[in-house]
Amino acid sequence: MSIKLTRRAVMATAIAAPALLRTSWALAATELRVMAWQGYADDDWVKEFQETAGITPKVVFIGTDDEIWAKIKGSEGKDFDVFAVNTAQLQRYIDAGLTTPHDLAKLPNQKDVLPRFQDLSKIKGIMRDGKVHAIPFCFDSIGLIYDKAKVTPAPDSFTILWDPKYKGKVLAYDNGEHNFSFTALTLGFADPFHLSAEQMDQVKAKLSELKQNVLSFYTTPDEALQLYKSNDVALIWANYGQQQVKAMTDAGANIGYVNPKEGALAWLDTWAMTSGVQDTDAAEKWVNFLLQKKIGEQLSQRTGFGNTVVETGSANPNDKLVWLEFVEDPTKRSDLWNEIKAQP
Amino acid sequence: MLFVGDRQAKGWRLAISVLAYSLPFIFIVTPLLSFLTYSFFWVEGGQMHYDPTLRNYARFFTDAIFVPVLWQTCLLCLAVAALAALIGYPVAFRLATLSGRRKYVLLMLVLVPLLMSYIIKIYAIRSILGGNGFLNRFLIWANLIDQPLTLFVFNLNAVLLTLTVLLIPFAILPIFLSLERIPRNLIEASVDLGASNWQTFWRIILPLSLPGVVTAASFVFVLAIGDFLTPQMVGGPNGFTFGRIIYSQFGAAFNWPFGAALSVILSLVMAAVIAIGRRFEQRS
Repeated sequence: MSIKLTRRAVMATAIAAPALLRTSWALAATELRVMAWQGYADDDWVKEFQETAGITPKVVFIGTDDEIWAKIKGSEGKDFDVFAVNTAQLQRYIDAGLTTPHDLAKLPNQKDVLPRFQDLSKIKGIMRDGKVHAIPFCFDSIGLIYDKAKVTPAPDSFTILWDPKYKGKVLAYDNGEHNFSFTALTLGFADPFHLSAEQMDQVKAKLSELKQNVLSFYTTPDEALQLYKSNDVALIWANYGQQQVKAMTDAGANIGYVNPKEGALAWLDTWAMTSGVQDTDAAEKWVNFLLQKKIGEQLSQRTGFGNTVVETGSANPNDKLVWLEFVEDPTKRSDLWNEIKAQP
Repeated sequence: MLFVGDRQAKGWRLAISVLAYSLPFIFIVTPLLSFLTYSFFWVEGGQMHYDPTLRNYARFFTDAIFVPVLWQTCLLCLAVAALAALIGYPVAFRLATLSGRRKYVLLMLVLVPLLMSYIIKIYAIRSILGGNGFLNRFLIWANLIDQPLTLFVFNLNAVLLTLTVLLIPFAILPIFLSLERIPRNLIEASVDLGASNWQTFWRIILPLSLPGVVTAASFVFVLAIGDFLTPQMVGGPNGFTFGRIIYSQFGAAFNWPFGAALSVILSLVMAAVIAIGRRFEQRS
């Protein structure tokens, strides 16, 4: 009885095996598992990629950095082939061995990117041990929004936020980290993300002065717009960059946007391949496809973010952008920010 | 027969009591216990340490900002409670003197703001009080001022005003209920004995309604002191309250144990206020 069953089982497996193998091989060749932010893998791009490359992207959208970590680390890189991640967060994925370096030979479109993104060794965080772990895709800066009628001539530095002329007419984002970073840049410190205790004290004193000029803090772009509409506001440091500019100009505000000359903080999102990528060719084809000028233009049009292939309002070619990194001690910055707010 | 019935009934009663006690235990006591436990852990350099410590509580007393901010917040919320009770009392009194359906219809109308989204109300108040808002435009139109005032917005005054406006319905209800419970015959007796309306009010109605006023005040105080959204949205750079400190520990600071410790301290303050209120109620 048992011998018969076993032989039958072996026969069945032998017959079924090629079919199974062929299906799984077929699936592996035509499917690409993508994890992206909304706006990075629009339906029409996915469709076009499918038609031209014969590969089917299966896209999962996420909403927070923590979600990406939970899904990629949680599956040890095996559940996805390629994911979008910013340069600051990228470090912990490289540290944990969850990425596969790119082969630039497979990314011909990378040669035509904007001058700022040509030399990947200059972009902090992208390379490790001479290997490229991620390809820049889109970015936005944290710049200065100014009311064109109230602020003339056009400002060129965040130092104008401290100008007593605009007392009570400044809006600031309510978060210690960025406030500390850009104040460090205005004070001329070389590394705004790793401040010494003494530098922290200097920045704290300068921020206490800034607080005297601030009308109110905001937390969402919507709130900043509402505050601008119901009060006399001349300057806003824009944590949400172009998103805020778009919302305000849509509402009819006569504003301008400028990246400060001492350097504007900016986030940079990239495409990285996971350690569990099933077909690196397919993944590289996807990234290369998205680096086309046409896609870049559409990305910027639809989301307002800057792209790496075509110039947009996010930054002029000569603007100095300082890509965001993890700060030395987020808890300390938050505590100091509370102390600044608690002072009368 | 009776014996069997009794045992069954006992079984049912046991089941219902277990259910009745377990629901508050699961949904109220357990979360409170969990953040009490959390308050004894600690965070250093982004890493959570699970060995128990009192350092969070020590930090509350030793760091320069926490005690003054808590004190300032308590004073602010006492002012809110007093103001809300003061404004709520005449409204509740008027409602209590009405008769029939009108009373309950108007009571419903007074409570309708509670159905509205809390954040929308704050947005609305912030617009009204703002530089280009309704209040300033009215004052300029009436020639009372010629430049918009920033007195009412983005400072502690704004927090006081906004909290009071938001919490008045919570003050009206307990006062209304205690006024309703005053027996009519006491008032009639007082009038019969020749007291004027003012005397009746001052010597009969007011003292008998005081427990309701104290309840209203402590209710408003507890709601106000835990609030962090109102100070955040209308407090501006200087309207910094204790609730905002707690809120920040669960955000960028990522220091949940410290936030839990501060919450425990705040709960103790609230418990103390409620206890004082109850003592006062019982005495009167």
